[in-house]
Amino acid sequence: MDLALIPNGVQRCSLKRFVPWMVLWIALISWGLVSAFLCFFKGLNQTNMNHYFAFGLWIVFDLSIIALGAGAFFTGFLTHIIGEVFIYPFRDNLKAVVNAAVVIGFICYSSAIAMLGVDVGQPLRAWFIFWHANVHSMLTEVSFCITAYLGVLTIEYLPLVFSNRKLREIPEIDIFGNNLHHIIALFAAVGTFLSFFHQGSLGGMFGVLFGRPFAFREGFLIWPWTFFLFIHSSIAAGPSFTLLCVWIAQKVTGKELITRDVFNLLAKISGWLLATYIVLKIVDTIAWAYGVVPRAGMSFMDFYQGSYGIWLIIAEIGIFGIIPAIILITPKFRERNDLLIIGALMNVIGIVLDRFVFSIQTLSIPVMPFDKFMSYFPSWQEWGIAIGAIGYGILLFSLSYRYLPLFPQEAEMNPVQVLGRAVTDSGVIKRS
Amino acid sequence: MKKEENSKGNRYGMVIDLDKCTGCGLCTVACASENNISVLYDESDKTRNIAWLQIYTITNGKDFPDTEVVYIPRPCMQCDNPPCVSVCPPTATRKDPNTGIISQIYSRCVGCRYCMAACPYHARSFNWFDPSFPEGMDRYLSPEVSPRMRGVVEKCTFCHHRLMRARSKAYAEGRRELKEDEYIPACAEACPTQAISFGDLNNPEHQVSQLIKSPHAFRLLERLGTEPKVYYLSAKNWVRRMADNYLAGELS
Amino acid sequence: MEFSRRNFIKFFAGGLGGTLLTPLPWKLIDDIAIWTQNWSWVPVPGKGKFSHVNTVCTLCPGACGIQVRKVGSRAVKIEGRSDYPVNHGAVCPLGMAGLQVLYNEGIRWKAPMKRMGPRGSQEWKEISWDEAIDTLAARIKGFRDKGNPEKLAAVDGNQSRSTMALLIKRLLNSIGSPNYLRMPREEDTHSMVNFLMQGFDSPLTFDLENADFILSFGCGLLDGWGSSGRMLNVWRRWATNDRQHKTHIVQVDPRASNTASKADLWLAPSPGTEAALALGMAHVIIKEKLYSKEFIDNHSFGFSDWFDEKGLEHKGFSGIVLGKYSPENVENITGIKSRVIIEVARKFASANAPIALAGRGKGTFPGSLYEFMSVHALNALKGRVNNKGGTLITDDVPLAPWADVVYDSVANNGLTKERIDRAGTLRYPFTRTLIHKFAEVINGSHSSPVDTLLLCSANPAYTMPDNQSFIKALKKIPFIVSFSPFMDESSMMADLILPDHSHLEKMVDIVRPTGIQYPLYALSRPVVKPLYRTRHTGDVIISLAKRIGGSIASSFQWANFEEAIKERVSGLYDAGENKVSWEDVKKNGYWYTPRHFFGKRSDIFKTASKKFEFFSTKIELAIKTYSKGLRPGKPSGLEGKSFDDALLNLGISAKGDEVYMPHYEEIKSGGDKNEYPLLLLPIEFINLATGWIGNPPFLNKTLFDYQLTKDDLFVEVNPKTASRYGLTEGAKAILKSPKGELSVRIHHFDGAMPDVIFIPFGLGHTAYDRYLKGKGVNPNEIIDPIEDPLSGQPVWWNTRVKLIKI
Repeated sequence: MDLALIPNGVQRCSLKRFVPWMVLWIALISWGLVSAFLCFFKGLNQTNMNHYFAFGLWIVFDLSIIALGAGAFFTGFLTHIIGEVFIYPFRDNLKAVVNAAVVIGFICYSSAIAMLGVDVGQPLRAWFIFWHANVHSMLTEVSFCITAYLGVLTIEYLPLVFSNRKLREIPEIDIFGNNLHHIIALFAAVGTFLSFFHQGSLGGMFGVLFGRPFAFREGFLIWPWTFFLFIHSSIAAGPSFTLLCVWIAQKVTGKELITRDVFNLLAKISGWLLATYIVLKIVDTIAWAYGVVPRAGMSFMDFYQGSYGIWLIIAEIGIFGIIPAIILITPKFRERNDLLIIGALMNVIGIVLDRFVFSIQTLSIPVMPFDKFMSYFPSWQEWGIAIGAIGYGILLFSLSYRYLPLFPQEAEMNPVQVLGRAVTDSGVIKRS
Repeated sequence: MKKEENSKGNRYGMVIDLDKCTGCGLCTVACASENNISVLYDESDKTRNIAWLQIYTITNGKDFPDTEVVYIPRPCMQCDNPPCVSVCPPTATRKDPNTGIISQIYSRCVGCRYCMAACPYHARSFNWFDPSFPEGMDRYLSPEVSPRMRGVVEKCTFCHHRLMRARSKAYAEGRRELKEDEYIPACAEACPTQAISFGDLNNPEHQVSQLIKSPHAFRLLERLGTEPKVYYLSAKNWVRRMADNYLAGELS
Repeated sequence: MEFSRRNFIKFFAGGLGGTLLTPLPWKLIDDIAIWTQNWSWVPVPGKGKFSHVNTVCTLCPGACGIQVRKVGSRAVKIEGRSDYPVNHGAVCPLGMAGLQVLYNEGIRWKAPMKRMGPRGSQEWKEISWDEAIDTLAARIKGFRDKGNPEKLAAVDGNQSRSTMALLIKRLLNSIGSPNYLRMPREEDTHSMVNFLMQGFDSPLTFDLENADFILSFGCGLLDGWGSSGRMLNVWRRWATNDRQHKTHIVQVDPRASNTASKADLWLAPSPGTEAALALGMAHVIIKEKLYSKEFIDNHSFGFSDWFDEKGLEHKGFSGIVLGKYSPENVENITGIKSRVIIEVARKFASANAPIALAGRGKGTFPGSLYEFMSVHALNALKGRVNNKGGTLITDDVPLAPWADVVYDSVANNGLTKERIDRAGTLRYPFTRTLIHKFAEVINGSHSSPVDTLLLCSANPAYTMPDNQSFIKALKKIPFIVSFSPFMDESSMMADLILPDHSHLEKMVDIVRPTGIQYPLYALSRPVVKPLYRTRHTGDVIISLAKRIGGSIASSFQWANFEEAIKERVSGLYDAGENKVSWEDVKKNGYWYTPRHFFGKRSDIFKTASKKFEFFSTKIELAIKTYSKGLRPGKPSGLEGKSFDDALLNLGISAKGDEVYMPHYEEIKSGGDKNEYPLLLLPIEFINLATGWIGNPPFLNKTLFDYQLTKDDLFVEVNPKTASRYGLTEGAKAILKSPKGELSVRIHHFDGAMPDVIFIPFGLGHTAYDRYLKGKGVNPNEIIDPIEDPLSGQPVWWNTRVKLIKI
């Protein structure tokens, strides 16, 4: 049926198998759409957010997927800028994943913006943020940057879309796509600039809250330390997330899509960034515990009560910080497939935990001594939007994989079957 | 985060004497009826109802019969260094440099709630619901204050419309300066034990300027540097201590 | 052009691009944003000219002056009137939320209604006022013509001295029914004390403004007691007096109430032992000779031992107190340390202007007679009777009397019948009205002795302790007429609704508001035009009387209620120092003599002894008469026996002369102490309406989430007591008394006395709108009232309960 759309030289499952796969994700998206409909028509009372938890699951999810989507700009940055100018192996190796990274980035950012659209109380006038922009607000910076960056991602995504076999038959599109391709480094540079800023601003959003000693950080000029830590953690987690996504795609398709070297390189980059991040995070935490905290008249343990106990910081920095860093920077470990994946997964979990801690735990802690600890659990509508976003991501990734040449190495590594068994370049025997 | 002191012009502030406050709740009722505040079916949900002036209860923690109860009415602190203003993306909340009052523009607010995350006093309420007034009660709504729509944040404005009212009266009489008792928010006016005083902190002759010099005067969470313009008074040491966080060794 | 896919795409892309270049999308985005700022379902307050109307709040008998801000014809805000002598600007939360009572469509009856379905089905039919009044007139004429006018009864919640109350009572009188019942109040007990000890049939009042030491035995001075606007204002005066003159407040309360927390000293005796505490202090004052010798020697009777005309020796008050109420004994009874009792007694005695106040909570319910007498004995010991900053015997407001009621033979005959509630009989000699007894008699009789019951400004089906028995009685009464403006629990059981205006739509008066020590007449005026097809109950009663005709019509000659008021007010024109006119009273909303005429001590007491009576000759006479009646014609040797029977019937456990004097009676309670180990004490908050007015939504806003969460009411329990039952903060539990059970949540409160469960009055409505109905529970449902010794009033604060964890 859709053979004409499938890229040359690769094999895809039959449409009969692909359609039920799609139906599953469309079902999740529908849950999200029903939830969004309820939130638009009945208001945000459909959520379990309240005056205390002004931010909820959606903000955690937004912060997380934006951090994880950092793989896109960072891989692009390494491939097109660092790779072209300084370290050529980056270019050669990372080219294998840069397309996938762009798609993942596009998914993350577009769903984040869609979720924010539901999250604000007045989505129909959300553009007032641009019209009446308050330049002092970190959230203004975030809004501008992620919107602009989504544009960049779209431009980065377009050449890929235009490289679809059928679309390339239209000469105008082919030429347009090619031209875009030539200036992609420029967009990578713009994207990098924007991304650094909004990743940072997202951290800055919490670091500037001087009324909330748990989140407040000192900093450099107008930027609190969380500004830099958020950038650092996002580029540490981004490659790991890209790695995980490709690995899952391999599992699902039963094919090798990139070579083990590329996995290794992603893991190595991720690992070293995470290792340095964790060191800085520990320094930051200690400085905070001995600076901001006592100045607010509070003690470290005041912040870890109720359902958000001390286990959170142990989990975030210890279990899901130090351990994956060690796994990923140690060649012996990251060369083992199981440890590689566990390391990347733990890295991702650690960053999600960090974003959770900053958005939810910050709000659960009473600052007035006579106020009380609060806890929060999202409503099904909130879960619906988040899970719908996941469904959308998988759906778009599946479509991109099926119809676009996402992995340049795929055709080479998976020659079209003649005998039912084939030997790939790397020498590993794979079932088809 | 730099402090903006408006040494010129007015700096309206409030002093609440907790030793006089009896916890009767009249300030809350006066505020709600003055400012067209909507009511939910379930007003017991303090995490979602609209309360510009919330009363908190504190006790001295002693066993029966040595227990003491004190109430803390909490309007918007109208901070001189407000944590909420700088964070608002569409500039929907601002500090008036001539009065020190933190405004909220409901028709511009996009409902991102960042200001609520920023405010440690929980002085801001978000409209999770469409504004609801029990059947027929929209007939008592005051035209001086616009009712808020769903999806925006609202908060105490020191009854800003009363300032406008007083100003237009004064201007009509050819005066530029307001007298001390000309502009008083509804809560301060209603307080039956006169525990709430209101005036210009920049005017040394106003009662509030005298009161804040008292050794019993304090503000909530002073150490955070928000510089509230709402002061409290209490002769009780344990009450003053409850207003801020202190480390074990730092008993004041 | 050929229609191909390519062209279609081109067309579409071109169209999109083109449209984006036009201003259209941007205009639309802007329009949508403007739409969000003007949603049609967000109400827009109407504009109009601003004005202010001064009037009086009549939601309770406190009569605070209020100023209503209006925009056009709408009332938009209620504020206190600083020029009003009762409250000087202060009002209570209920008064300020009064517009929610006026404008709440969900709780108002909008027209006369006739019940259609079975009772309680809430099927109503709107009828005309003519039909409504005719129906009632015909019904009354029906049983009256058969010679049974006493089959009419009324339950009245209007202030007893108000013109409305007089008018309703006059209606029953002229028809010939003695069964005019009132909702009992604490004032009734204060009146009884004034009558028995001082000979005046009016409530004691207190010159709190000028006192410098307040010893309150449970009055919730800040919790809504008396006229709450006045009390809050007085409190401000006490607190702002400079240090030397600061009024010292001692609050006796089993719980850290607002008053107790704000008082200078809080004493927490076991509930019901307040009389013993007062007498313990009396002991110290007598023993240390700290009392006013001048007053005791010249103006009191029964202080020392004395001989009557038969030569029999009687024990004096001082002897009994010295013998029985030593601080050590009192410590055993009350749990208050003897050291503290002595200290407070000395402070009380050494103050310039001390007052001892008896009462409980808001004063919504009557108190215990002997307890109130014991507390007032403290005032007498210090001579704090009718002097500045003390207790006052207040002059009446000089209102002109109406022309006498015209009685026909049916009426004369009817009025000789005994009241259904037996109030005023030998058994209940000093009590005017006993509404719980009324319910008891109806429930105990085969068919209801009442044919038609009028409910005026009262909601006994909700507010009465043990309301379930009243509801049972209501079900037996063939015809119930409610004049309530509100869809309250009682009117929901009625057959005919004749809705009154709301308080801001009508002119009514309050004569000497609760606790006000000067003669003051308060008159409200309509602030807005009636919103619905309601009618002033005063006017309805006058029309009804005319419709019944005959002598009844002759007793109601006025054209309308305003004329009836005006006739009474004419008495004020020449009284006092300033001459006033009807227009003045109407405009100001009050008439008032700010000065008290103390008179000469030797002339004031109207008792048999012409003195203040520690030994009440009225009680002596009443009990002796009663005991004689118990065994008429029996030989004199059995007198002692019948006297004991009398005391037993009256619920008095004391013996001998103590019976006639202030003393401590242990209040018994229903329920076995082993089965029901805890005591239930209902409490009242100033920000939670407890009377017949339903709590308005603004007041729900002021309740804390540890008082009400969703629909669950919290009871306050000492953490130690709660943990004994394994009940954590917020835990759900069943509160069970012999009368029934309630489902509640637990709030741990350090300030609650151990083994006492404190439950707020005011919630648990089964009627009104959804903002009130079904929220919380009503303690009245499980209160197991017993009768107070001698007065026979229900004791509502002494029910034994148990907590069951669920």
